Amino acid sequence: MPNTPETVIQLSHITKEFPGVLANDDVSLEIHRGEVFALVGENGAGKSTLMNIIYGIYPPTDGEVFVRGKKMEEYSPKNAIANGIGMVHQHFMLVPSFTVAQNIVMSREPRRAGIFFDNRRAEEITRELVKEYGLAVDPSARVEDISVGVQQRVEILKALYRGADILILDEPTAVLTPQETDELFAVIRRIISEKHMTVILITHKLGEVMAISDRVGIMRHGRLVSLAETKNITEREIASEMVGRPVLFDELERTGTPGDVMISVEDLHVRDNRGLTAVNGVSLEARSGEVVGIAAIEGNGQSELLEAITGMRECVSGSVRIHGTEAVGMTPGQIRALGLAHVPDDRLATGVDAVADVADNLITGRQHSKEFKGFAGHLRRSTIERWASEVYQRFDIRGAGLHGAVGSMSGGNMQKVVVAREFSYDTPALVISNPSRGIDIGATEFIHEAIMEKRNNGCAILLSSADLDEIFRLSDRIITMYEGEITGHFKAGEITKEEIGYYMTGSRRKEADKVDAS
Amino acid sequence: MRVKINYRYIASLAASLAVALLIGAVILMVSGFNPVEAYSALLSGAFSNARHIGDVLEYAMVLCLCGVACNIGSRVGIFNVGGEGQLLLGAIVSAQIGVVLNGLTPWVVIPVAALGAALTGGLYALLPGWLKVKHNVNEVITTIMLNNIAEFVCEFLAKGPWKNPDNNIVAGTGNLPTEYWFTRLATGSNLTTVFFVATIMTVLTWYIMQKTATGYEMRLTGDNPRFARFAGIKTDKLVIIGMLVSGMLCGLAGMFRVYGAEHIYKASISNDYYFEALTVAMIAKYQIPATAVISVIFAVLKIGAQGMETAAGVPNQIYLIIQTVVIFCMAAESGIFDGLKRRAEDKAAKAAARLREKEGAAHD
Repeated sequence: MPNTPETVIQLSHITKEFPGVLANDDVSLEIHRGEVFALVGENGAGKSTLMNIIYGIYPPTDGEVFVRGKKMEEYSPKNAIANGIGMVHQHFMLVPSFTVAQNIVMSREPRRAGIFFDNRRAEEITRELVKEYGLAVDPSARVEDISVGVQQRVEILKALYRGADILILDEPTAVLTPQETDELFAVIRRIISEKHMTVILITHKLGEVMAISDRVGIMRHGRLVSLAETKNITEREIASEMVGRPVLFDELERTGTPGDVMISVEDLHVRDNRGLTAVNGVSLEARSGEVVGIAAIEGNGQSELLEAITGMRECVSGSVRIHGTEAVGMTPGQIRALGLAHVPDDRLATGVDAVADVADNLITGRQHSKEFKGFAGHLRRSTIERWASEVYQRFDIRGAGLHGAVGSMSGGNMQKVVVAREFSYDTPALVISNPSRGIDIGATEFIHEAIMEKRNNGCAILLSSADLDEIFRLSDRIITMYEGEITGHFKAGEITKEEIGYYMTGSRRKEADKVDAS
Repeated sequence: MRVKINYRYIASLAASLAVALLIGAVILMVSGFNPVEAYSALLSGAFSNARHIGDVLEYAMVLCLCGVACNIGSRVGIFNVGGEGQLLLGAIVSAQIGVVLNGLTPWVVIPVAALGAALTGGLYALLPGWLKVKHNVNEVITTIMLNNIAEFVCEFLAKGPWKNPDNNIVAGTGNLPTEYWFTRLATGSNLTTVFFVATIMTVLTWYIMQKTATGYEMRLTGDNPRFARFAGIKTDKLVIIGMLVSGMLCGLAGMFRVYGAEHIYKASISNDYYFEALTVAMIAKYQIPATAVISVIFAVLKIGAQGMETAAGVPNQIYLIIQTVVIFCMAAESGIFDGLKRRAEDKAAKAAARLREKEGAAHD
């Protein structure tokens, strides 16, 4: 590496203001050729805004962007692509029914006779790209049929095909297994060492920052608060800089022993939205005072399983018992009445009413309680407000205030609203799905502590998460699922994160330990 | 999406109204009329005497009831386009009840007629609601189709089995005995005491939807049905009840037209009132207080237009164009307001830029 690094992107005093929000506040930063630059920060810290400015989604309110010393005049993705910048978004921008090759060449399709799409040439181009960059994909496979990890490769190839040599990856590992993450990192290393490209990585996961990046920039409240060479900083220091106070992430305290079986599932079969079998003969149970974690790669039936348990999805056959009562065929409301609360997978679609205010979202389920109902059936607003503001403070919700729309809140605070409501029912059983998806370290820490407190108070918790760290941190027992079936039962500490990946991909299976499961 | 009624909305509505009247003025001038004269004729046509004011209020009452009916549906996430049919059926059934029960005391006949109208309208709306909940049939299509069926059923009844004995009336039910008529509030106008009933109904609906636990559940159901179901709310039941009540209000609006204004069922009992009310409800962002206010604005335009024709000589077609422009602009209110605001902001930004440049030049 040369002693004086070549600057490929220079941000000079970037400020971006949205109505009422200062998303970026005087950020100056240089990205060097051939480095992996990790940009970390909590949700709402402004890292996505900053990257969107570089990618030309919107112009900065103030300040300038220079790409290879040339001032960016027009902010548009088209211009950014012309300048060799490519971005892979967290949610992939692929057409599911198109093939890999068709997706890659999209917007610059090879043509025959000027008007016809040349599919053969598109596949040739893809094969050339695969050879050049070493990212294995099948050009003629449909995107909807390939795994998320491969879809991500398609996204990267798409950017490369458009001539990108500066790649921005937004939370690339959020949907990957440990093995897939390793593969991605190998690809990043290769394109950097062989092609002298530059990679900017937006992430929450500090382990990855340490593993792959050369330098790290930490953002907080729209400012770039720290810039360091990765080798000179520790994970803990980064976390503290992100949150603005020391973060411990200590071992969570566990007390008590498992008690009665609260959630019991037997030979459950469930279909997904397309009518295909999603859950295929799953049996499991959760006792009070324990956290049972389901480790599975997204789309392996875990969401459908939890939806079936909570009544949000019809069961084909099998049995679900909540505290001994058969719950199959009941409505979600009836199952709640049995003592089961539910933090759903997709908070925006299922967990909140985004247009209603925070107070209304917090009291949902209690609207008929005597406490809140007054003369002629009217809701006692002042009592509700007092109760909601107490919960608001107890769960450290920030942002909109009691009367702001939940939809205007950050993901972390929205999740806290959901958790606050579901936890405040004080049910003996809880089903929790991806509690910390897309939310920041501070909020995650808070939610983890709340889950552990519930557990220690004797709640039975069934937890599903795509984040293995979360599963390992919280669970007393871990169950792996692959293609709708259980592939392994483990006690905490019995298995490592690397090893469990084999069970999550179905390449190993372990029968339930009879002593343990009964 | 739910939008709060706030100063911004009121300002944008006022702006759109102003723009519309301005366009209307241009149209009037081009067609050779004095806009000031024409507009003052419109106002005096609506407000010059008790009869006009009464007609304005009666028209507004019907629009408002239908608009409220639409609001109830939209609150639970269902779009009742079938109010016209529900209104017609409510009207003809209540009219026939008055004819059949002739001789009984009004204290019996009027409640029975109201009940009959409400039940007919309600049940007629229940069908699409039930189909929606049980079989996920699109309620917009079913309610539109049911409108046509209702219209022809009423025409059949009014020309056939329930026909008026007077041969001069081609299609109409028997005349309603005078003792069942609602008491007029202003001589010669359509406004009757039933206006107070309609007001109470509107306020009551507002109260239930805005203040009670049931209204809260309806709101959640309309905003995000998946979340509502997830939270244990009986969404199917609420959708069905919402549709039922929506239809009942339309049916009652029909009865109020018969017992208040027309005293007979005939096709002109409704002049596509419900469709006009849909526009009102949409412009009012499905909020009841705004629905009431905009109903009055619409009624002023409608009733005042007759004054415009007689006093200022503006032909029918011209004021229909103006009316449509007004409705168009009000429906586009947010767009118009944003446009005006953006222009003002651009101007301010340009001025600021010029100022900065000047300062920059001074520094250099």
